Amino acid sequence: MKCRTRVRSEAAQLPALAKFLQEFWSAAALPPAQSLAFEIALEEIFMNVVTHGTPAGSHGHVDICLTLEEGSLTLAVEDEGPPFDPLLLPSPDTHTRLEERRVGGLGVYFVRQLMDAVSYARVGPRNQLRMMKHLER
Amino acid sequence: MKVRVETLARTTIVIPEGRLDFGAAANFHVQVDQALAGAGQAPAVLIIDCASLEYISSAGLRVFLLAARGAQRSGISFAVCSLHQPVREVFDLSGFIRVMTVHPDRSTALAQLPGTGA
Repeated sequence: MKCRTRVRSEAAQLPALAKFLQEFWSAAALPPAQSLAFEIALEEIFMNVVTHGTPAGSHGHVDICLTLEEGSLTLAVEDEGPPFDPLLLPSPDTHTRLEERRVGGLGVYFVRQLMDAVSYARVGPRNQLRMMKHLER
Repeated sequence: MKVRVETLARTTIVIPEGRLDFGAAANFHVQVDQALAGAGQAPAVLIIDCASLEYISSAGLRVFLLAARGAQRSGISFAVCSLHQPVREVFDLSGFIRVMTVHPDRSTALAQLPGTGA
């Protein structure tokens, strides 16, 4: 099962993406308790593209694809912004005191922790981030 | 996302309901800041009750971090309560669970915080 959507690279599209994921989840009859990794990944990676990958004043597009096969679900996020590999962001220190805690980098860290495999590729003018997780049924 | 605020003496309870994503974080931040400032008099205790919170991302977590720091600076006791999965999982992953006071439910939070009159 495969579903695609294309949205403008702007924060206002986030509810539409959440709905796209929710509809895929229902249509594929996936267990609701396992949606967190994908909800987080969709928001954090999309917002990364919006904030880091989109030149000011321009509105590129972001392509989202969900592919379910053999018990694993893959989320692919592609954009045509400048080359940007979020996996190179340093992991946050999750053990420091309250005053020293930072939120930067936490989103990508969540994605790495929640997914089974994450990979980045620059293909021609496009950034491609693929995130895969095995689902228990 | 809806945010309710309840006040009991000098305890303020902020109750976010639904999804605390990037789009909802700014409004939630305003509500938490208002609760911290109080109506002329800062509260002694601020509790964020997550019983009706279904989802949180890093944008929402940032507000919890700012609230905890703001409370610390103002001498306000701060606690979070009633984290359900998947919100609990995000708190665990972030390590916030180790730097914030987290109670299983509101009555435990009220009983254990100073100045709540419980």
